[in-house]
Amino acid sequence: MASSCYGDALIRRIKEKASKWIYRNPVPGPDGTHLNHHLPKSGLRKKDADAVVVAVTSDAVFDPGADEGDAFRVGLAFPLLQALQRVNERLLEQNPSESLLFDIILITTSSQRQQQSSQIMRSTRHHGLEVGRFCFSSEDNFLESLLENNVQLFLSTDRNETSQASQRGVLSALLDQRAASSPSEQLRVLFCGDTVVQPNAAGPMSTIQHDAQSFPAQLGKMRQRFGMLDSPLVIILMVSQGGRDSCSSALQVLRSCGVGVDEAYCLAGAPQSPILSLLHPHFLLSDDFGELEE
Amino acid sequence: MSEIKQDAAATNGNMAEEKDWAAAKAAFENLKSNKPRPPKPQYAVTIAVSSRALFNMVAERKIFQEDGMETYVAHQQEHESEPLKEGVAFPFVKALMNVNARLRKLYPDSEELFDIVLMTNNHAQVGVRLINSINHYDLSIERFCMTGGQSPIGYLKAYMTNLYLSTDSEKVTRAIDEGIAAATMFTQSTDTELSSTQLRVAFDGDAVLFSDESEVIVKQHGLDSFFEHEKQFENKPLAQGPLKCFLEALGKLQRKFYAKNERLDCPIRTYLVTARSAASSGARVLKTLRSWGLEIDEALFLAGAPKGPLLQKIRPHIFFDDQMFHIEGAKELGTISAHVPYGIGQKYHKGKLIEQPPKKE
Repeated sequence: MASSCYGDALIRRIKEKASKWIYRNPVPGPDGTHLNHHLPKSGLRKKDADAVVVAVTSDAVFDPGADEGDAFRVGLAFPLLQALQRVNERLLEQNPSESLLFDIILITTSSQRQQQSSQIMRSTRHHGLEVGRFCFSSEDNFLESLLENNVQLFLSTDRNETSQASQRGVLSALLDQRAASSPSEQLRVLFCGDTVVQPNAAGPMSTIQHDAQSFPAQLGKMRQRFGMLDSPLVIILMVSQGGRDSCSSALQVLRSCGVGVDEAYCLAGAPQSPILSLLHPHFLLSDDFGELEE
Repeated sequence: MSEIKQDAAATNGNMAEEKDWAAAKAAFENLKSNKPRPPKPQYAVTIAVSSRALFNMVAERKIFQEDGMETYVAHQQEHESEPLKEGVAFPFVKALMNVNARLRKLYPDSEELFDIVLMTNNHAQVGVRLINSINHYDLSIERFCMTGGQSPIGYLKAYMTNLYLSTDSEKVTRAIDEGIAAATMFTQSTDTELSSTQLRVAFDGDAVLFSDESEVIVKQHGLDSFFEHEKQFENKPLAQGPLKCFLEALGKLQRKFYAKNERLDCPIRTYLVTARSAASSGARVLKTLRSWGLEIDEALFLAGAPKGPLLQKIRPHIFFDDQMFHIEGAKELGTISAHVPYGIGQKYHKGKLIEQPPKKE
C-alpha cells in the first residue's frame, strides 16, 4: 500500500501562536482508505524551512500490543515526545514567531500499523501528543517517506530500521528502555564523542562539519535560544574510549559547529553503563549509530 | 579493597565492558605520546577531585557569585588559554602521580595504581579551560565528569570513587552520607615545602579512621568515662570510620613496594595523629588497626596537645580530621587540611554544643 502522509489537528495554543503548519483533515476515500494528501512543495512556507523534522515510529510511541480500550498505551518514546513538545513550547514562549521548532512526524513502518491509522491518530489525540504530521508507510516504503519529508532525524526501536535509514543518508538513532525513564520536561541529547574527532562518512559528526542545516547544527542553534540554566534542551558529550585530548577536541569541534555542550563525561575506558544509567538521555547520536552496551 | 570496588569486580565478566576497556587501552597505547595510560578503574584507587580543589579559582568564583553564571562562563571561555593557578589539592595530586610512576617501574603490567578523576559541576564550556590547565601542568588526569550545574554526587559511585576531595562542604557531607570517603579541603595560611618523592597522608583517629563511638562518650559523659570505657573495651575493635577504606587502599599499594624490597624507600607514608594518649586510650586504637590487618607507619598520641606543631614537622600532603578546631589549628601552621564531616564532632565546636539552625528541606 502506498504511504500517505498528512497533518493532524494541532493543539489550539500552537495554532493560535503561529499557524505555520499546513494540515489537512484526513478524508476517507471510497474504499475506506485515506487519500493521499502529500504536503505540496509549493505550500511549504519559508518559515517551515527552518523546522527541524524529527520522525518517530509508532511502535516507539505506542506500546505495540497493549491498548486501553480505544487508544494504544504509550510506549517508551512518550517522554521523548513530551520533551520535544516542551522545547517547542519554551521556544514559542520566548518568541511567538519562532520558526526554529521541532516538526514531529509519527511514522508507521509496517503494513500492520499502516492499517491502524485511525487508531493511531485517535491514540495521539487521546494522549495529548502534538504530532505535526502522520506518515502511514509500510516496511517497503518508509524510507521513501523519510526522504520525501526531509526528515533530519529518524528515531526507532528497531535496529534494522535505523540501519536501513542510515544507509540512505538519514541520521538515525536507536531508542531503548533508557528513553522511557528520561525526563519529560527536558530534552537530553547525548553525543558519543569518540567519533567526533574522526568522523565516519555518514555519521552525525561528518554531516555537521559540512552542512550547517544538519540536525546537530540546528540543535545547537536551538540550544542557544536558552540560557545556561533552566534550559529545556541539554546537550551531553560522552567520550568512552579516549581521554582528555579526545574530550577537549570533541568539545571544540562541536563548538565550532555551533553546538555548545552542557555536560561532558570522559571515561578513558571506564565502564559506561553506570554513567549512562545516570545521564537519562532520550537518544544517542554516534557515528556507530548507537551501538552502546545495553 | 572498598565495597565499591568489590561490587564492580563482581560484574567484571561483562563482555561489552571488557571490549570497551580493550579498545581504550589499545587507543592509548597507539598514541605517539609518552603519556601514561589511565588504569582500569576496577583495580585502581580512584581519587575524585573538584575543580576548585585542584586549581585556585577564587577570582573566578567571585565573578560567578557577583555577576552570575553567564558572565562566569563567558569569562572562563575568554581566558581559556590561560592556565589556572595551582589549588589546595595540587600537591596531593602530584604526589599521587609520583607514586604511580614508581609503581609502573616495579609492576609495568599492573592496574593497581591511583586513578585521578576531575569531578565538577562546572559547565562543559568551562571544561576546555580546565583541560588546558591540566595540559599545562601535565597532570595525569584522563577522566572527567562535568555535570553542567547538577550535583556530581550521584556520579561518584559511577566512577568508582574511593576518595572525594572538594572545597564545597555541602557536597562532601552528601558524599559521606552516601558512604563515600570524602573531605572538604582548606587552604593553608602559610606555604610549606612538601616532599616531592614521598606521599604523606595524616589521619585523625576517632570519627575518621574509626567510628565516632568513643567521641560520643567524651562529649556526653566526659573524659574520665572515656578513659574507663577504652580501658574496659581495649580488646574490642572500634567500628570503622569513613576513611578506613582509603587507608586500606594505601596499605595495599605500600605492600607492593615492600614485596620488592623497597620498604625503606617507600613513596607512601601514613600517620595517625590523635588526641588520645598512648597510656590510657591508645592501646585500643592500635589493636583495632591490627585486627583489621592494617598498618600505619607512625602513630602519634598527643594526649590532648594541639596537633598543629606536630603536623608542621610531618608536612603531610593532606591531613584528615573530623573537628574544625583541629583543622583550623593545622591550617594556621601551614598544613593542608581536609575536614571529614562525620559523627558527633559536627555538633560541637571547642567542646560546646553548636546551636543547629533548623534543617533546610
